[in-house]
Amino acid sequence: MKVLIIGAHGYLGPHVVKALEGHHEMLLTDIKPPKEKLSHPFEILDVSSIEQVQQASKGKDAIINLSVLRGHRRIAFDVNTLGCYNIMRVAAEEGIRRVINTGPHFTITGPLYEGFDHAITPDVPPHPSTILYALTKSLGQEICRIFSEHHDIYVLDYLFYNFRDPATAKKGSRGVPFIVSWADAGEAFRLGLDIDLDKLPSRCEAFFISGDMPQGKFLNEKAKRILGFKPKDNLEYLWHRTQSLTK
Amino acid sequence: MKLISVLRYQKPSSTVDSDRHEMEKVTVTMRRRSFMKNAGLLLTGTGTFLKNPSEAQASPKKGQRILITSGESNLAQIIATYLSQDHQVTLTGLTQNQNKFPYIVSELDHSESTNKLVQGIDTVIHVAQASSSADEFEHLDHQTRKTYNLLRAAATGNVQRFIFLSSLELMTNYNEDYLVSERWRPLPTTDPALLGKYLGEFTCREFAREEEFQVIILRLGKIINATAVKGKKTDPLWVEEQEVAQAVSGALSVKPYPRFHAQGVNRWRIFHIQSEFPGARFSVGAAKGGLGYRPWFKPE
Repeated sequence: MKVLIIGAHGYLGPHVVKALEGHHEMLLTDIKPPKEKLSHPFEILDVSSIEQVQQASKGKDAIINLSVLRGHRRIAFDVNTLGCYNIMRVAAEEGIRRVINTGPHFTITGPLYEGFDHAITPDVPPHPSTILYALTKSLGQEICRIFSEHHDIYVLDYLFYNFRDPATAKKGSRGVPFIVSWADAGEAFRLGLDIDLDKLPSRCEAFFISGDMPQGKFLNEKAKRILGFKPKDNLEYLWHRTQSLTK
Repeated sequence: MKLISVLRYQKPSSTVDSDRHEMEKVTVTMRRRSFMKNAGLLLTGTGTFLKNPSEAQASPKKGQRILITSGESNLAQIIATYLSQDHQVTLTGLTQNQNKFPYIVSELDHSESTNKLVQGIDTVIHVAQASSSADEFEHLDHQTRKTYNLLRAAATGNVQRFIFLSSLELMTNYNEDYLVSERWRPLPTTDPALLGKYLGEFTCREFAREEEFQVIILRLGKIINATAVKGKKTDPLWVEEQEVAQAVSGALSVKPYPRFHAQGVNRWRIFHIQSEFPGARFSVGAAKGGLGYRPWFKPE
């Protein structure tokens, strides 16, 4: 499959590329030039420019959107919201049927879910909150959903919270109750490109990409059931005691 | 008349505690009657309440300081003229404009100037109308980023109410046989103008959940002037421009839902606004009850 990766030089991009190597033909793009020599073609691409998205998308079978901007209000809307519009419009024009969009967990399940609830799944009405990052990503995801309802495009929305490298993460160091290793996160993209689109319940599906967490706060069951996601890195030791709580 | 559906009491399947349940049923019903009376609602039958007409027609709270956006637009100026009889109106627009009302040029950017716009304002009426020459990206930017900036400024100011003018075309993808109300899910298309209105509503809703001010969505039909459409084929979505102004005026005094809902829901209201005539597409019953909306235009 010929795959366009947007935002390939972010934190997650290199792990996605590693997981897809040998399986798919990739065009890597980012708004910044690479710091080191790459083994795949590369182009500068600003996702807020529809012309650049159009150019890079020609002849592709799938688009993976890893682009993100968190802090700056103007650019956050341009990248996180209008960027999705550009990708979906171009996908519709070019007949690209598979898009993997990404975002933080609060694209759908904002603080009101996390604060109150347990066993949270991605199949709930989006309550992103007014946090700039969450809301702009959620608007982008809504754009993806609406395009998928009007065009023959399948959108897999991968939601993340936090990442760890098992080689450096320490026992008992804890963290948010929704963590995945970089390698497992990358593998989820390979699964998303491989899955038969007809096996998806609808043309727009969201997934929590998380390791197996002991808290029962967020559930990765849907990613396992539909994508066949099997996180290899067990991160439960992040919450194992390192010493007795009482002296 | 506004019809409010409530959950009907379900008799428990088990009869073991039927007496206790019957007592609870009576107590709940009495509490509900007392509550509804206090909230200005009349109990008229099983599961249905009618809004007290005298309350629905109450005149808007006068003397408010009102900011109206898209000040260059015809609609903003019609609303301003209507409201200026009783309120202190300021318009804001993206470009310079000759205007009989106080007028401030603002890009609605993330800047101190947007915060200053809402200082001392009681109600913001966000007409959110991009210029007729706007491209697809400007439409989306206007409804999302500019709306966010204005809402964020309103949240840091002392704004009491934020009225967002949306579109009834969000609801036209349902089968015409359905009695579609404000509670139905919007069905936007990918047309940037309509998609933008949906995203604008989405943005407003998140602020209604979190912030202290009330957010009212008015979904408008196709705005016309009664004189200008004489002899033209009737569109089932028509709404006369003065009717829109009257609905906005009514929204200035809309009360939050009574407190049997969570507070965020209390602050979030949606009304469908169009003319009322045989063949009209949507009911305006909720607006008549909740805003005192009184449409008068009848196509020939």
